[in-house]
Amino acid sequence: MYAFFEMMEAIQAFMETGGSVLTWIAALIFVMWILIFERIAFIKFGYKKYEATVRKTWEKRSERKSWNAMQIREAMISRASNKLNENLLLLNALVALCPLLGLMGTVTGMIEVFDVMAISGSGSARSMASGVSKATIPTMAGMVGALSGVFASTWLSRSAKREAELLEDHLTTDH
Amino acid sequence: MKSIFKRLLTAAALSTTMTTSVFAAQENTAVNLDQLLTQLEQGKLFQNTQNEQREKEFLAKKAQQVQMLNEADARRTQLTQRSESLETTFEKNEIELANLSETLNNRMGSLKELFGVLQQVAGDMQGKFENSIISAQYPNRGVFLDELAQKMGQSSKLASVEEIERVWFELQREMTESGKITRFDAPVMNADTGTKNQQEVVRVGAFNLVSNGKFLEYVKQTGSLAELSRQPSDRYLSTASAVQEQKGELVEFALDPTGGSILGLLVQAPNMTERVEQGGTVGYVILAVGLIGLLIAIERFISLTIIGGKIKRQLKQATPSTNNPLGRVMKVKTDNPTADSETLELKLSEAILREVPKLARNLTFIKIISVVAPLLGLLGTVTGMINTFQAITLFGTGDPKLMAGGISQALVTTVLGLVVAIPTLLLYTVLNTRSRGLISILQEQSAGIIAERAEQGE
Repeated sequence: MYAFFEMMEAIQAFMETGGSVLTWIAALIFVMWILIFERIAFIKFGYKKYEATVRKTWEKRSERKSWNAMQIREAMISRASNKLNENLLLLNALVALCPLLGLMGTVTGMIEVFDVMAISGSGSARSMASGVSKATIPTMAGMVGALSGVFASTWLSRSAKREAELLEDHLTTDH
Repeated sequence: MKSIFKRLLTAAALSTTMTTSVFAAQENTAVNLDQLLTQLEQGKLFQNTQNEQREKEFLAKKAQQVQMLNEADARRTQLTQRSESLETTFEKNEIELANLSETLNNRMGSLKELFGVLQQVAGDMQGKFENSIISAQYPNRGVFLDELAQKMGQSSKLASVEEIERVWFELQREMTESGKITRFDAPVMNADTGTKNQQEVVRVGAFNLVSNGKFLEYVKQTGSLAELSRQPSDRYLSTASAVQEQKGELVEFALDPTGGSILGLLVQAPNMTERVEQGGTVGYVILAVGLIGLLIAIERFISLTIIGGKIKRQLKQATPSTNNPLGRVMKVKTDNPTADSETLELKLSEAILREVPKLARNLTFIKIISVVAPLLGLLGTVTGMINTFQAITLFGTGDPKLMAGGISQALVTTVLGLVVAIPTLLLYTVLNTRSRGLISILQEQSAGIIAERAEQGE
């Protein structure tokens, strides 16, 4: 319990030194990882069930070679692919936003540094330190968020593509 | 040599002519030389008698002058004697004075040190009172101290017991008052209207002055109170009104422990609109572009939602209606019931091609804005840096405040670029996902949906 409080305090201190932009980055990374986990859970569990029902409906058809059948098969694959790719574009956009927000933190931090310079009229490193940490910490956080997201999103799009191709193979026309 | 001689001659000639002309002017009655001669002769005679008369007068006065000289001599001796006697008295007095001041020193002893301390304390206190906000409640405290310090500066004057006690009292009062929250009525300068109103002021120790839910500043030059032209954020302002309305219970209060310096800096810090203004033309261009992007995004969002809803309703209905893209595509099948599959497919893809641009319209524009905004920000950065370097060329690097304008332009435009780019990028992604979903329903599923309907109908 004590260790937990200590950890929370450390996190709070870190967020304060990073400034308000860091809060935005934290929220962004949080949303990003929620999406990533949702996608992983869907591919591992939800999609398996869906694929099974799709395959069953296809197998139940009396004939699988007519024009109608081909069109229905296309539609089925497209729907499955839509389900697999849902939110992936948004995820990619969130990954791209991470460094941008980090850059924004850098610039707002630098503005604070120059404000301190303009008001105090001196280049005292001690008084500028808070602005500098507000400039650098969000940059780092943005980079960390983007890096962590890039791997996940790449893996997710590859699995989505593979699953869609697998479904196409499974919905056979002749047998 | 010759030329000099010549010049002299001419000068002599000139002077003679001048004297003659003068004579001619004086004796205009003399018409010829003989008359002039007689006139001269008469003049000489007259002058001689005059001179003789003068001589007589002078001789008569001679005895009188001797007497006057004797009198002056006697007076001088008398005065010299007096000066000598005065000098001796002066010397005697000086010695006596030295003796007396030595006695004074001896008698004052440790008191002298006390007066020195008193003078120093009075001087220090005056400076302190000038800056202290307690002076707003008790004005003119500094005048007495100032007089006292000046009086003590002269060696001949001593402080009275009343004055010493008053210094003590003022010190004690400052100390006691700095630990109190008090209310008093005072004229306060309104920041908006510039008028003075008599109103209740709450003083929190020696730290803050609050009135009508606003923080006040104490102007030490005039000794008057004024509302700060820029107040701190609402979170802190609410505590100011809370402390004024409190009735003996504990309330939270935002305190400026520096006694006004931090609040004074607040006035210098620019607010949101001033920040945006620092961005200059480029900043406004970025904001305008961002606004355009936002408006397009809103329009797209609304129309895509409406179209999406109609397509969803169409998916549940068997009969195609012409008010939505899917319905129009499905209608191709009902319009051509006898067409073979290949013709049907061609007709379908033609219908789809007609629908796609409507769904994807303007989305690229939002995408372009999200890319252009940071670039514009970069442009602002560079122009701002150019301004900075121009300032350096003109004024040197001595004063960072001169460079601040260009630097803040550089940074503010970058921030504005990002502020526009981040939401536009997000909006583009969301809208693009929506439109692609609808397009994929048209492109990949419309034929399938038609086929399903056909099979259900059989």
